[in-house]
Amino acid sequence: MIGETILVVEDEAPMRRFLCSALTSHGFRVAEAGTLALAERLATESRPAAVLLDLGMPDGDGLVLLRQLREWSSAPVIVLSARDREDDKVLALDAGADDYLTKPFGTAELLARIRVALRHARGQAVPDDPVITIGPMRIDQARHEVAVDGEPVHLTPIEFRLLALLARHGGKVLTHRQLLHDVWGPRNTHQTHYLRVHMAALRRKIEADPARPRWLITEAGVGYRLRDE
Amino acid sequence: MTRTSRFARSYAIAVVGVAFATIGGLLARDHVTIADQAMLFLPAILVAALGGRGPSLAAAALSVGAFDFFFVPPRFTFAVSDMRSLITFVVMFVVGTAIGTLVARLRAAEEASREREHRTAALLAFTRDAAAATDVAGVEAAIVSHVRGVVDAVARVEVPDHGAVTLHGPVAIRLEGEPALSPDQHAFLEAVAHQGGVAIGRLQLATAARDAALRAKAEELRSALLSSVSHDLRTPLAAITGMATSLRERTAGDNEELDTIIAEAQRLSRLLTNLLSITKVESGAEPRREWVPLEEIVGSVLVRLEDELADHPVEVGLPAGALARIDPILVEQLLLNVLDNAAKHTAAGTPIDIRVSREPDAAVIEIADRGPGLPPGPRAQVFDKFFRGKTSAAGAGLGLAVCRGIAAAHGGTIEAWPRDGGGARFVARFPDGAPLPEVNEAESAEPDQPEQPALASAS
Repeated sequence: MIGETILVVEDEAPMRRFLCSALTSHGFRVAEAGTLALAERLATESRPAAVLLDLGMPDGDGLVLLRQLREWSSAPVIVLSARDREDDKVLALDAGADDYLTKPFGTAELLARIRVALRHARGQAVPDDPVITIGPMRIDQARHEVAVDGEPVHLTPIEFRLLALLARHGGKVLTHRQLLHDVWGPRNTHQTHYLRVHMAALRRKIEADPARPRWLITEAGVGYRLRDE
Repeated sequence: MTRTSRFARSYAIAVVGVAFATIGGLLARDHVTIADQAMLFLPAILVAALGGRGPSLAAAALSVGAFDFFFVPPRFTFAVSDMRSLITFVVMFVVGTAIGTLVARLRAAEEASREREHRTAALLAFTRDAAAATDVAGVEAAIVSHVRGVVDAVARVEVPDHGAVTLHGPVAIRLEGEPALSPDQHAFLEAVAHQGGVAIGRLQLATAARDAALRAKAEELRSALLSSVSHDLRTPLAAITGMATSLRERTAGDNEELDTIIAEAQRLSRLLTNLLSITKVESGAEPRREWVPLEEIVGSVLVRLEDELADHPVEVGLPAGALARIDPILVEQLLLNVLDNAAKHTAAGTPIDIRVSREPDAAVIEIADRGPGLPPGPRAQVFDKFFRGKTSAAGAGLGLAVCRGIAAAHGGTIEAWPRDGGGARFVARFPDGAPLPEVNEAESAEPDQPEQPALASAS
């Protein structure tokens, strides 16, 4: 992980300073861009391993850069956004961003997200092993079996598909649309309430206390995340 | 000209015409035959027929009488010596009647078409005036003036209140003195009432469109302002939080100063969220309602408030699968505020209970604590903006005001009650407002992925 370059696209200098110091002190190299124009150049020159992208840039929409980037690069993009900008986050995630951070956030959150993103980018998160182990959960994708704390848990086919999908993207947020699309098919991407009901049922089966979920986290207005650490 | 004088004149013409025919016949008596004399009466009947059916009949009868008296031998008596004259009488009368009827019919048709033309012109003029009117009063004025032109009565117009923007029905037109109306006038009034309604409907639609455009503009402005405020205040907060956590990480052991900076920055950020929410809710932005399992909302809030609620045992009573039709983000914030409020105002170690229940067409969330209870005064005052209870706990008194705004935006309520045995109870009620959509599970599941049921391990 040491020496990998993170491209920081953020117009506010204090925020950029924080991101740079946090990243360099954890062994990353940093390329900084305060404008989209510079970011575009640095993205090709420095070949970043991951991109931190503030959507509200002074010289344009961060989404434009994201789309350009996605034409030739698969480097994970983590969007930086405020709490009440859920629509922007969803738009960015559906346009190919990998995750997001809600401002304000601390170093721990920042590094956790980057770790997850880099791991997925390196393909380490999707080993050939059909069995995924996350926390107390053991998900056997070949045999469609799930066990929590060694105890077998009965899941419906839809619940299993949801859990397996979230587990394959362990630690990463998946939007309502992505989940609906992958589990129910492309024609059913608007039936969010249906997804929520299945998620609630799944949570009752895998969480020790569903009212205080430890693993299956709701990202309000965006989607779901299966915590993996 | 009045009807009576026109009537009298028509008959006078009939009499005079017959008199002229008689005199003409008498003057030409030596030069013509009796048949020619009979012919002289036909023009008289024809002229009389222009006055209508009555005058033409009268002229025909008079002609027969005069012809008999003056020309048929024995002359100057009504006696008839030759039976052939009788045929002349009959033919004369029949021809006179027929001509009269035909002419009268022609006149009536001509009259009707002139009348119709007049009404059409009036209606056209009215439509033009009504279309040119820029407000409802203008349309009413056009109705009054054009009705007076056709019916000769003062009209009062009543515009029924249609409330929502729909295609407008006819207006009601009342005539002062309620004069008797011909069917034609009645038809005219009906047409005016309909056209007036259409004109008013058009005006209302135009007004509604203008209002909607204005609202959209205001909404656009508001959201631009909000996002700019949000950005300008959050950016320094994000930098402060970030830097403080960076420092915290590099500092060994406890560091209360840094912890406080981080916590306060977080609190400021939450306050900012409340401020933005109340602006959003109060500006009338529609909540984005979906059917959401309340478990999900409660769970999300409890996770977010893990630190704040660390000193309070929280008991959750939640029927599995209870749904509510709510905006998940807004209601999460409502719960967050009430719970945060409860945590702040109650002593460490006291329990907080969350109870969710379903009514036939509403979801109810109740949060009860064992704190000092409600402050004295009206119960609802705790929801007033910037109201602060007696306790010295920090807070701008915005949190509960936001809750009320969020509940109201859902057409629901939030109420504060004293709790039996001490403490406060906050009860939020969210009416569904729409039935739960039916989803066909078989149709929704992807057909091209046959899947065996995910069974527990066979052991």
